[in-house]
Amino acid sequence: MGPTCQAVLSPSPRRPAPLQPPESRPPLPSPRRPPPLPPINRAPSASTCSFDLRRTTDPEVLAAMANTLRLYLTCIRNTLEAAMCLQNFPCQEVERHNKPEVELKTSPELLLNPVLICRNEAEKCLIETSINSIRISMKVKQADELENILAKKFLRFLSMRAEAFQVLRRKPVQGYDISFLITNYHCEDMHKHKLIDFIVQFMEDIDKEISELKLSVNTRGRLVATEFLKQFI
Amino acid sequence: MDALSRPAVVIDNGTGYTKMGFAGNVEPCFITPTVVAVNDSFSSSAPPAARGAPAKGNWLAQHSAGVMADLDFYIGEEALARSRASSTYSLSYPIRNGQVENWDTMERFWQQCIFNYLRCDPEDHYFLLTESPLTAPETREYTGEIMFETFNVPGLYIAVQPVLALAAGYTTTKCEMTGVVVDVGDGATHIVPVADGYVIGSSIRSIPITGKDVTQFIQQLLKERGENIPPEESFDVARRLKEMYCYTSSDIVKEFNKHDREPSKYIKHWGGIKPKTGAKYTVDIGYERFLGPEIFFNPEIYNNDFTTPLQVVIDRCIQSSPIDTRRALYKNIVLSGGSTMFKDFHRRLQRDLKKIVDARLRASNTRLISGDPKAQPIEVNVVSHPIQRYAVWFGGSVLASTAEFYEACHTKAEYEEYGASICRSNPVFKGMY
Amino acid sequence: MILLQSPSRFLLQILQERVLSGEKGMDIDCHTVEFDDVRYHIQFSMRNPKVMVLSVSLPLPPPEAILHDDLPLGAVDAIKATYGPVVQILDPPKDGFDLTMKINLTKLPPDEEQRNAILTQIASIREVVLGAPLKLLLKHLASKTVAPNVDKLVALVHRPNESFFLAPQADKVTIVYPMRFQDSIDIVLATSFLQEFVEARRTAALNNVPSCMWSPAPPLELKGVPADALNANAGFVTFVVYPRHVESKKLDRTVWNLLTFHAYVSYHVKCSEGFMHTRMRRRVESLIQALDRAKSDAEKLKKLVHGASFKRMSLKNEGDSRF
Repeated sequence: MGPTCQAVLSPSPRRPAPLQPPESRPPLPSPRRPPPLPPINRAPSASTCSFDLRRTTDPEVLAAMANTLRLYLTCIRNTLEAAMCLQNFPCQEVERHNKPEVELKTSPELLLNPVLICRNEAEKCLIETSINSIRISMKVKQADELENILAKKFLRFLSMRAEAFQVLRRKPVQGYDISFLITNYHCEDMHKHKLIDFIVQFMEDIDKEISELKLSVNTRGRLVATEFLKQFI
Repeated sequence: MDALSRPAVVIDNGTGYTKMGFAGNVEPCFITPTVVAVNDSFSSSAPPAARGAPAKGNWLAQHSAGVMADLDFYIGEEALARSRASSTYSLSYPIRNGQVENWDTMERFWQQCIFNYLRCDPEDHYFLLTESPLTAPETREYTGEIMFETFNVPGLYIAVQPVLALAAGYTTTKCEMTGVVVDVGDGATHIVPVADGYVIGSSIRSIPITGKDVTQFIQQLLKERGENIPPEESFDVARRLKEMYCYTSSDIVKEFNKHDREPSKYIKHWGGIKPKTGAKYTVDIGYERFLGPEIFFNPEIYNNDFTTPLQVVIDRCIQSSPIDTRRALYKNIVLSGGSTMFKDFHRRLQRDLKKIVDARLRASNTRLISGDPKAQPIEVNVVSHPIQRYAVWFGGSVLASTAEFYEACHTKAEYEEYGASICRSNPVFKGMY
Repeated sequence: MILLQSPSRFLLQILQERVLSGEKGMDIDCHTVEFDDVRYHIQFSMRNPKVMVLSVSLPLPPPEAILHDDLPLGAVDAIKATYGPVVQILDPPKDGFDLTMKINLTKLPPDEEQRNAILTQIASIREVVLGAPLKLLLKHLASKTVAPNVDKLVALVHRPNESFFLAPQADKVTIVYPMRFQDSIDIVLATSFLQEFVEARRTAALNNVPSCMWSPAPPLELKGVPADALNANAGFVTFVVYPRHVESKKLDRTVWNLLTFHAYVSYHVKCSEGFMHTRMRRRVESLIQALDRAKSDAEKLKKLVHGASFKRMSLKNEGDSRF
C-alpha cells in the first residue's frame, strides 16, 4: 500500500480551516504500485531487540522499502511545490506588523486546507499553508524503545540549533516530532526549489541518522563488551 | 547520600589551564593544560562522506581494529607528552580567548576530567563551571546541553570568572562584591569591573599581553643573548625560568644599574639536560628577570602595536564605569591568574595607578574656583593574596560550599521541563557571609 | 581511556609529590569523592613530615550485605598483607570514615621502582578494601575449594545501597548483577549494551572468557532474595567464573573488573552519548551546508559586501568577542 495523500489545495473561504487533519481519502492514482512486501527473513545478526525493518539485509525488502520512501518523499515534494506560493502580507489586525499567518490562524480567508501525507500509522507529514507562511510538521518513525529515545535526543538537539537553520521551528507542533516554519522572506532569500530540496533532504537525513545512531549504539555495545571480556583471557 | 550532601565539583576552564576539584577544598585537585591530543588516524574526526555514501566503512574499520577510536585521546600533560612522542596524535586547543571554539573537543575534555581525573560519578554531584564574562548566552545553552544530556548532572551553575575571583577575597569580616578584577591568564588578559556581583559589561577591557607573551619575550631575549638552549626546549625552559626567577622592579633604569653593579647577586643560573644527547647545559638569567614582567607596564619594549600600559587601561576601565561605583572600584582591585604572581607585582601596580589618579585629582583641584569643596583623595588598593594563581577556582569552591548554591543551580528537572534556555541566566548570590 | 583504572589518580599524585618534595612543602588537607560514593580524606602536616594520614569511607551497604566491624570481610588482613610496615591502621577511624591509616614515608623501599609500586598500591586502597571478600572467594575458587562458613548466596556491596550476588561452588562461581540506572535514556542504552555482552561472548575469539547471560527477570540463583534487592530496571547480568580466570596473576585484575562492572557500563553509556553528540554536530553541519546552497547568489553577494554584519549563529560558535 503506497502512501495515502490528501488532494485539495484550493482555498475554501466559507469553511473554517480545520485544525485537525481530515480523515484519509482514497489514494491518488500513483504512477506505479509498489510490489507487495515479501516474507521477512530474520537476519542472523539482528539483536534481541524487536525486529526492525531498517536492519534487514534482504535486498527485496530493502528495494520495496526504498520504493515506499521514494513515493512518500515525492508526494511531499509535489505538495510543497504547489503549496509554497508565499507573498508578503502585512498583518490585518495590527498596523505595521507582519506576522506568519499560519501560526496565528485567526483569519480563515488567509489559510489553505492543511494536507496530511501518511506513509503508515507512525510516519506522517502535515503541511499547513497560509498566504505568507507555510508550516511543515513531521512525525518520525520510532520502531522500538531505543529508536524512540534516539529520535527524541536528536530532534531536541536540532531544535536547540533552530537559529542556525533559520527555517526550523524551536518547538514542534503538538502531536509531531519536528516542525519547519517557512515565511515569504525565506522564499525571497533562497531559491524555492533548493529550499524544497533542503526540506526533503532533511527528512531523509533524519531517518538515516537515527538508524545510523542505532547501529552505532549496537556496535559500541559490542566493542565495550569485547574489551571487558578480553580482560579475562 | 544524595547529591546535596556531597561536595560539588568545581571546574574552571581557562584558555591555558583548567583547574578542577571538589568544593570545600583549598586547592584544586588537578591543574592541567586545556589541550586535547586526538588520534587522527581512524578518521573518526574526518568530515562525513558525501550525501548518500554510507558511514558503514568507518564502523567496520573501527570494529575490526577492535578499538573505540573516539576514546583514543588524552588531555592535559599527557596530551603534550603523547604528541611529542608520536605523530599520530595532534593537539587541539578547545578554548581560545576564553571562549569555547570546538564543542566536540570540549565535551571529550570534560569527559576525561570527570571520569579519568576526578573519577567521580557526574550523577552524584552538582557542578559549578566558569565562563569568561563576554560569552554569548548560546554558549551557556550548549554547555548546559552537554552537562545535562551527556553527563546527567543533577544541577549546574555557570559562574562568571571575575565574580568568583572577588569571592576568593572573602573573609569573615568583609565580603566585597564590588571591585575590579585584573585577570592575567595564560591565554587572555581581562580587566573586568564588577558592581554588587554584576559585571559591568560595557567597561570590560582586554589587553593582548598574557603570560604566554612574557614567556615568549624571555625566550626571545635569551636567544638574542646567545644562550645555549636546545631549540625545541626553549619555550619550556623560558617558562620555568619565568616562574622561578622573575620579579617586578620599581624602576628599570635603577634595576639595570643594580644588575651591573653586583652581577653575582642578581644573575641566576639554571642547569638542564639536552633531551637528545643527554649532555648538561646551563643557562644564565639576568636582565630578563625583571624585563619579563615589565612588559605589562611598558608594552612597547615587547610589541610595537600595543603601547598602553596596564595601569592606564585599568584607569580607563574604571573611568568608563558608572560614576557612583568608581571609588569602590578603586578601593578593591583584585588580582587573579598565574601571571600576577610575580613578586611585588601588586605593589608596582598600586603605585603606578595611584600616580595617575593623584595627578588627575590635582589637575581638577587646581581648576576649582575658591569656595568649592576640594575633592577627597581617592584610595587605591590593589589586593593580593596567596591563592592568586587559582583565585577563580578557590572562589568557586567557597561559593559552592554554601547552602544557597544548591538553590541557585539549575536542576535536571528544570532542564527537562523548559529546555536548555534556563542556562542562559545564572542568579548571583551573596555566599555565606 | 577504555577501562577504569585501579589507582586513584589524585592520591597517587599527592603521594608522589610528597615523596619528591622531601623536607619542603605545605600542609595538605583534601577531601575527594570517587564514583560509587567512596570518599578519601588525605592529610599531611609539616609538623610531622614523615607521616600522612589517609581516611577512606565506603559506600553504604544495603541490608543484605553485612559487614564485619564496618569493614568488608578480610579487609584488615588484606591491608596488612599488601602494604606491610608502610601502613598502620588507626583505631578508631576518624569521624565519618570507615578506615583511617597512617602512611609512614620512612618505611618506603629505597629503590625507586619498588617505591612507585607501593605508592600505586596505596592509591588502589579501594580495590584492596572493597575487593577483599571477593578476592577471598575467588582465591578459594582458584584452589578449587569452597571457603568454609560461607552461605550459598553471598551479597557484596559495590554501590551505595546496592549489592551484587555470588553463588560460590567448588568448580565455578556464579555472579549476578542487578543493573539499575537513574536516567530513562541510560536505562535503554545500558539494556542494549548488556544484551551485546551476550552476543559478544559468542564470537570465537572469546571462548575462554566467563560465560555471560542477560535476562530481564531475576535468574534462578537469586531465589529467596528479598524483593527490594531485586528491582533492576536494566535487567540482570550473570557471569560464570572458572578457576582458569582467577589464576594467581589474573586474580587482581579479575577482582577489579568484577567490582567495577556497573561503573564500567555506566561510563561507556555516557561516552557513547557524547559520541552521539559528535555525530549529531557533524550532521547539523552538513545540513547547514545544504541550506547555504539554497541561498541565492545575490543574497550571498550582499552578505560579502556588507561584511558579516549580523553573524548568524553557526554550529562552531565562532563569535570571537572583540572588546
